[in-house]
Amino acid sequence: MTFPQIDWLAIGPELVLAVGAAAVLLLDVTLRPAFPRLGGLAAMAMAAGIGLAIWQWMAWVPAAGQPLPFGGMVVADRLASSGRLLVLVVAALGLATGWSLLAAQGRRAAEALALMLLGTAGFSLMVSTPHLVMMFLGLEIGSLSLYLLAGFSRRERRSDEAAIKYFLLGGLASAVFIYGVSLLFAGTGHLDLGGQGHLLEGTIITTPAVIILGLALVIVGLSFKVSAAPFHSWAPDVYQGAPAGFTGFLAASAKVGGFLALVRILVTAFGPMSADWEPIIAVVATLSMVIGSLGAIVQDDVRRLLAYSGVAHAGFILTGVMAGGQEAASTVWFYLAVYVVQVLGAFAVVAAVSGPESAGSPLSAYRGLSRRSPYLAATFSVLLLGMAGLPLTSGFVAKFGVFQAAWTAGFGWLVVVAVLTSVIALYLYLRVIVAMYMGEAEEDLPLPGTGSDWVPGVAVFATLLFGLLPGPLLDFASHASPL
Amino acid sequence: MPLLTALVVIPVVAAVIVLLLPRRRPELPLPIGVGLSVLPLALAGYLFAAFQGGTAEFQFVTRAAWYAPWGISWYLGVDGISLPMVVLTALLVPLALAASGMILRRTREFVAAILLLEAGLIGAFLALDLFMFFVFFEAILIPMYFIIGLWGGERRIYAAVKFFLYTAFGSALLLAGIIAMAVIHSRETGALSFAFEDLAALDLGHTTELWLFAAFALAFAIKVPLFPLHTWLPDAHVEAPTGGSVLLAGVLLKLGTYGLIRFNLGLFPQASVDAVPVLTVLAVIGIVYGAVVAIVQPDLKKLVAYSSVSHLGFIVLGTFALTSAGLQGGVIQNVNHGITTGALFLLVGMIYDRRHTKQIADFGGLAKVMPVYAGFFLFTAFASMGLPALNGFVGEFLVLVGSYPAVPVGAIVGAVGVVLAAIYLLWAYERVFTGEPTLPENKALIDLRPREVAVLAPLAVLMLLLGLYPRILLDKIEPSTEAVLDHIETVTGYVAPEPSRPEHLLAEVSG
Repeated sequence: MTFPQIDWLAIGPELVLAVGAAAVLLLDVTLRPAFPRLGGLAAMAMAAGIGLAIWQWMAWVPAAGQPLPFGGMVVADRLASSGRLLVLVVAALGLATGWSLLAAQGRRAAEALALMLLGTAGFSLMVSTPHLVMMFLGLEIGSLSLYLLAGFSRRERRSDEAAIKYFLLGGLASAVFIYGVSLLFAGTGHLDLGGQGHLLEGTIITTPAVIILGLALVIVGLSFKVSAAPFHSWAPDVYQGAPAGFTGFLAASAKVGGFLALVRILVTAFGPMSADWEPIIAVVATLSMVIGSLGAIVQDDVRRLLAYSGVAHAGFILTGVMAGGQEAASTVWFYLAVYVVQVLGAFAVVAAVSGPESAGSPLSAYRGLSRRSPYLAATFSVLLLGMAGLPLTSGFVAKFGVFQAAWTAGFGWLVVVAVLTSVIALYLYLRVIVAMYMGEAEEDLPLPGTGSDWVPGVAVFATLLFGLLPGPLLDFASHASPL
Repeated sequence: MPLLTALVVIPVVAAVIVLLLPRRRPELPLPIGVGLSVLPLALAGYLFAAFQGGTAEFQFVTRAAWYAPWGISWYLGVDGISLPMVVLTALLVPLALAASGMILRRTREFVAAILLLEAGLIGAFLALDLFMFFVFFEAILIPMYFIIGLWGGERRIYAAVKFFLYTAFGSALLLAGIIAMAVIHSRETGALSFAFEDLAALDLGHTTELWLFAAFALAFAIKVPLFPLHTWLPDAHVEAPTGGSVLLAGVLLKLGTYGLIRFNLGLFPQASVDAVPVLTVLAVIGIVYGAVVAIVQPDLKKLVAYSSVSHLGFIVLGTFALTSAGLQGGVIQNVNHGITTGALFLLVGMIYDRRHTKQIADFGGLAKVMPVYAGFFLFTAFASMGLPALNGFVGEFLVLVGSYPAVPVGAIVGAVGVVLAAIYLLWAYERVFTGEPTLPENKALIDLRPREVAVLAPLAVLMLLLGLYPRILLDKIEPSTEAVLDHIETVTGYVAPEPSRPEHLLAEVSG
């Protein structure tokens, strides 16, 4: 019998995060340090994870045919390392945004920190495994942490509601996903994407119905997680109810994990079956863009608005998935990199305006924000314009990349749908900007703030930098290929 | 730094400088902004002087890869079609700023927005890479949106959002069209490219060409605005502050006519020939409709706004006559309209600053109390309605002469617009200026201050100069417009029936 090859560095980021989570919990019950120290420890774990992911990106020159670490449970390719990097950046910005919220939790801060670290480890695993059961484990570790974080506030009842809703629908989605995996196993006899890919390439399958059904269920399950329509109904309620300091992390990390896993599944093993999954993705993408853009128009809460905008963005990202192959991986990675930073920055503003533990951020609270806090209003505006995909922001480059790749792959009609819905979506971003700059504040209360005002600033910097000079990041993304 | 890059970058730097001025000195941004905006004007003047007439080549070309795998580059160049627009933009910005003394709230931001608008406009006129053109074309929406929405009139938010969404809708399809062309280029040659000459060389196939023409034309027709896509314009104009209106009418709308000439004619010759009837009909409807609606406007600013719809119709009529005279008339009318309508909006702004009303009925007999103002108004109105020896005449005359042989009915109906222009402008003049001032508020009005005269004088001089000696512009425009028509002829074999040479005609008229 052969033992699996043990390469600890291959799971370095996850190891660091898990050890960090354990250390946070243990230190909390033994030495009872003050929050800043625990938070610092978590931040160090994330920093070490980022370092390891960068090392992996540089060290792993993609080469097919090498034995995979851990007997094929992890994959050493650049989609994995760049995906991990993204998950960790999300976590680091999420920790910064949630810092004051965590500090206010007293003894419960350690739990939340550990959940953030474990959730990050889960999604990090999810983007770097070619094995569907492992992917499910990563998804569940990540999702369970997010459910708990959504319900973390004890003061806000809507936070409980959000957590229950998220948990029930998320659990259903996980069940759908794993059922799809079991059908894929039934159809191919393999649980790892490599094996499934070989089988699909090497055999003439006469009845692929079970595979198509399995694939469809897997897509549905992941669509739930990334809040793509018509599986998005949880997102507005959860974003609204969850503590503002955690919402950005919640929204961004699930999207990174879900989309990169979806890309890996669709372009590696099931690349040859693209004719079968393209219609499914095209429908989900169209619905997401249309429902996301139209649904946002009637929202009066900034967080619900951002949730619907997230649905629309899921549609744009799926448009990039349609490109297939290497192009799909790079455009999706680039889009995610650009979008999650904007989302985290935007929710950092939301947390600063409504208070980090608040549930709900009515649009009326943003009236006249440009006078109460010119900095927050300006950064929020740039981030919203970035999400709207206006030129000079990274959002435009990301959208352009997606459109161009999809058109090259022959989906011009989907691009036309995308450009038209992005005009509708523009209106919703303008509404917020109108409120901030052209509305008058009802009362001039001081803003709660988060103490982490640099987060939106960093997001704006990234948005403008990669909008004006996207070359290096696009080059980086072009290497983010699955094995 | 290459000259053209500097023309785009300097206004951006100027905007940053203005934004960094201390908040406590609200009196500083405006004069400093005017001072800084003279720099691009000086550069544009140098560009105009150094520009070689007699060639259709793009000049001062500068090119650097922006992202090579996508075939996108920072690619700027100037020819006879874009040169007048660049100079016009650089000229109107200092004047628009100088006339914005009434902006008291957030002056820094206002000046910065105008300067950023200038950068975007100049960039759009100079861009030879369609990706870059789109970036500029779309980016100017942001400063313009804030200019209307923050410093506008009562219904400013409605007007700003309407303006933004209308034009963004047009540019969405433009983006799809640009991407489609780059993808076609990559299928034909193996590499993506957004460079104008690469895309112009594509063999698109007739159906594709028609679709792409439609996508581009829609975007530009909204911007022009061509009837029936003009409804955003009166709202935007009426609500915008004076400086914003000047640039909106003077330059921003010209992006539409410029885009039609540069991209629709340049990239889709066959489709352009096919589209002549449609665009001529829409242009003529716009001419007459805009003029008729202008006649009945009770609001002076709205009157000028609708007159723009009418005048821009002339430009489109001349452009799609596809004759040398018509196309030259279109290009030069772009400039003329920018000068005269810019001046009209400045004049309306000056009286609004005094009386806080733009209703024609609130005035009367102003010529008695404000003779200098009345003089400038009448002079500009004459230029706008195309009185010989003033600039509007040259453009409208060339357009009508150029379009008559090609689309006779269009030219005949369009000529009615000239008569209507005289009606709405002179009738407005009569109601505002003639007679005795009846209202007590009007009796106490102060005539133009030296600063206001300084703002108007350069425009008035240009109206006279371009009316008496249009060759200074036409000589530089002509090779480029001829090249556009030659390109259409080589690709499609279509030659529009020409009148006799335009310069002969001009010589006959202007002696």
